[in-house]
Amino acid sequence: MEKHTTKAYDVVVIGAGNGGLTAAIRVLQGGYSCLVLEKHNLPGGFATSFKRGRFEFEASLHELNDFGSPEEPGDIRTLFRDLGVEDKIDWLRIPEAYHLITTDKKYDCEMPFGVQAFIDKMEEYVPGSRRSMTDFFDLCEEVRAAQTYSNSVNGNTDSEYMKKNFPNFIKAGSYSVNQVLEALKMPPRARDILNAYWCYLGVDCDRMSFLHYGSMVIRYITRDAWMPKMRSHEISLAMDARIRELGGDIWYNSPAVKIHAEGPGAITGVELADGTLIPTRHVIANCAPHLVFGKLLDEKAVTEKMVRATNSRTFSGRGYTLFLGLNKSAEELGIKSHNYFIYDTADSVKQYDMMRKVDTNHVQATVCLNNAWPGCSPEGTCMMYFTTMFMSDDWGNVADTDYFKAKDRVADDMIRVFERETGCKIRDAIEEIAVASPTTYARYCGHPQGVIYGYETADWDSLMPRMMMMKEDAQLFPNLRFAGGWAMRSSGYSSSYVSGDLSGRQTVGDLKREVK
Amino acid sequence: MNFKKQIFGFMDMLRFTKLVPNRRAALEAGSPEPLPRDYRVNQQARRLHPGMMEVELTAVRALVPGMTELTFKRLDGDAFPFFRAGQYVSLQAPVGDSLVSRPYSIVSSPRQALDNVLTLGVADAGFFSGWLNREVKPGDRFRMSEPSGEFHYETLRDKKQIVCIAGGAGITPFISMARSMAEGDEPYEMLLFYGARDEAHLAYKAELDALTQKGLRVVYVLSDEEKPGFEHGFVSAALLEKYVDVHNATFFLCGPKAMYDFVGAQLAPYGLPVKAIRRDATCCGDLALDAPRCFKLTVRIRDKVYTLDAAENETLLTAMERAGVPAPSKCRAGGCGYCHSKWLGGEFRIADGRDGRREADRKFGFVHPCVTYPLSDMEIEVPAAE
Repeated sequence: MEKHTTKAYDVVVIGAGNGGLTAAIRVLQGGYSCLVLEKHNLPGGFATSFKRGRFEFEASLHELNDFGSPEEPGDIRTLFRDLGVEDKIDWLRIPEAYHLITTDKKYDCEMPFGVQAFIDKMEEYVPGSRRSMTDFFDLCEEVRAAQTYSNSVNGNTDSEYMKKNFPNFIKAGSYSVNQVLEALKMPPRARDILNAYWCYLGVDCDRMSFLHYGSMVIRYITRDAWMPKMRSHEISLAMDARIRELGGDIWYNSPAVKIHAEGPGAITGVELADGTLIPTRHVIANCAPHLVFGKLLDEKAVTEKMVRATNSRTFSGRGYTLFLGLNKSAEELGIKSHNYFIYDTADSVKQYDMMRKVDTNHVQATVCLNNAWPGCSPEGTCMMYFTTMFMSDDWGNVADTDYFKAKDRVADDMIRVFERETGCKIRDAIEEIAVASPTTYARYCGHPQGVIYGYETADWDSLMPRMMMMKEDAQLFPNLRFAGGWAMRSSGYSSSYVSGDLSGRQTVGDLKREVK
Repeated sequence: MNFKKQIFGFMDMLRFTKLVPNRRAALEAGSPEPLPRDYRVNQQARRLHPGMMEVELTAVRALVPGMTELTFKRLDGDAFPFFRAGQYVSLQAPVGDSLVSRPYSIVSSPRQALDNVLTLGVADAGFFSGWLNREVKPGDRFRMSEPSGEFHYETLRDKKQIVCIAGGAGITPFISMARSMAEGDEPYEMLLFYGARDEAHLAYKAELDALTQKGLRVVYVLSDEEKPGFEHGFVSAALLEKYVDVHNATFFLCGPKAMYDFVGAQLAPYGLPVKAIRRDATCCGDLALDAPRCFKLTVRIRDKVYTLDAAENETLLTAMERAGVPAPSKCRAGGCGYCHSKWLGGEFRIADGRDGRREADRKFGFVHPCVTYPLSDMEIEVPAAE
């Protein structure tokens, strides 16, 4: 049978996740034609929702950081504004930063947004912490300023300018979170409480770069977090709508199975499962380099350098989420916070190690969405989602015949831990239940081993050197760029939008240079 | 502030300059071994969720008047996936010029799936089902979706005691659930009320009687026949109370709408929570209209455009199937979202109580063709079928 060849596109985006959608809008805004290929029948990747009974569950979003109010927008709101999607979405503000609970040291701390409020609250929990906390936020402020500068010059920073304007950023820049907090002489208990966000980046604080953590924390605390009312599906559909407005195409149920290339830099087209050929010379991949270099690209175009670079990287956490629709209100159940972090131990290194095995992992980042948006479920009900990660492929040991039971065992443990640590009894109120395991994530998004956080941003592969090598990394295979959780900015909603923004705009630059 | 980690600030600065060379060296030091072609968890995902499967009919057995059992084996994989007893598959085949699909509850157990055996009990109730009851023979090939649906037991949600109420051909998912319990894969205690016209219409009676040796409790309820050993009438509150503590059970209902209405009314006075009563979804059929109008439906799938007739009383999915357009479908009840399509223009209505769309779908103009009827000429964009 003769293969169907479609019209040619300037750019094909593989994957309609947060990164891919953003990149596609940028390409279209740059005046180039663009086709988005998505394997699922919905846009968004993890940014979606699903229904069970009378509940519509949020699939993954806890809150969008660095969003800010319409009057004082953060970087992400500004990006959404530039993309032309901000107005298509009904936004709501998240009430508080986080509620940390640890089993070992019995922390039970509710942290607010706002630097001053955060520092004051910390002083309440840990008298004597004020000075180091103030230093911490000063340092973070410099980190943010340095990153803003770096972004403004597309990563081509001037080192003299950096040294002059951001000396503390550079001096702290090579150290881990724990090394920096120690140097700031922060009391250990304050460090424990401050480090609560670590699971959002999935690397323990001995190996996570301070720059990465600091830049995230300051964005959360100073520019409060927001989210869409209709779950993250609203963002994904807003972007779908925007792509259509700009004349782009999105094809669902259309996984790319091959990227044809004569050699590095010489892409000729993308092929679908049924043999359909889409001619293009530029690809933005919203998927793992492991898949692109290991499976999608023509073998003749893959060099040893690409293989080595890909093999050198470490998969981050494999995701697991429990979703509960409860037939009582949050108030009736006594659930007061929107966002809980519950750890066995405040020691992130020890905790990370416990997360390697399914049986020893009891970490949960838990959201009760009604505490941010009471209208998210019917009157007299509420919904919750509990997320954890496994830091190895232990889940792969589950036999098919034990699969449903294995999902239940983890869910049962999450409910048990939540009830024990908060005193809120939720078990009898379960009206709907759903579980996404690493197998589910592997199925829906195709990520190797069900990884949800891309590559670990630990040690040598931390955020800063990634950003500084952005240009160099892209030279590995010209005209092929990455967006989303596997790209340079690493995972998380905001980071994925940013990498989509960068790769989309850079691809426009590639196309413009071609014409010249 | 002046950050300092080492004695001299320049030492901290120097470390920073090493970040890039260190990362560059680490990338170059990666293994030259070929990258993995596949991953264990992804393999499991494909085993448990194979998507559309190619299957062959291996056996046809008449069950009771108007109901046939079809047994399939899978051709494109090792075996059928392990699933949750109570789930359904969508069976698809070309019939004449049409490309038709219908969901059917699985009768066989999850363990049998691993032996590459999957059976469906098909009541002669419509166009496709009638064709399946009369025309098919062993050796015929079909496409079949992976097992899907949420009509199954949940350990953390449901009571240990489950009360299953079947009306006629609605018995099918409960055969699988009873077998799965007998095979030790489910923790529930199962009490089954099986309603039919008369004994001759009790499909799977021999199998159910045998399963009572393995813990199943079954009560046959005949509406048109009085016979010792059988209850007479319908599944009323009085009958339920005779066998079970209504407040301490989770109910699973599968049968015609009339049965849902009747049992629902019987249970209403108990004030049970929503979670206590679960109903299997039923196919969305045609609307009863006197003189249905006919409209033009334009369907976009990737870069192809189809133009076809769409009757006012038939769903958009039915119109596409009739025209042989390869549109995705699974539950045909508005709930699974598999046919999620972009609305591009025209008026429509959605079957009562079947709007399973997400909030944002409504806002941005998406529809589920399986429960959507046209009210004017329409245009939609449909994802490619797998």
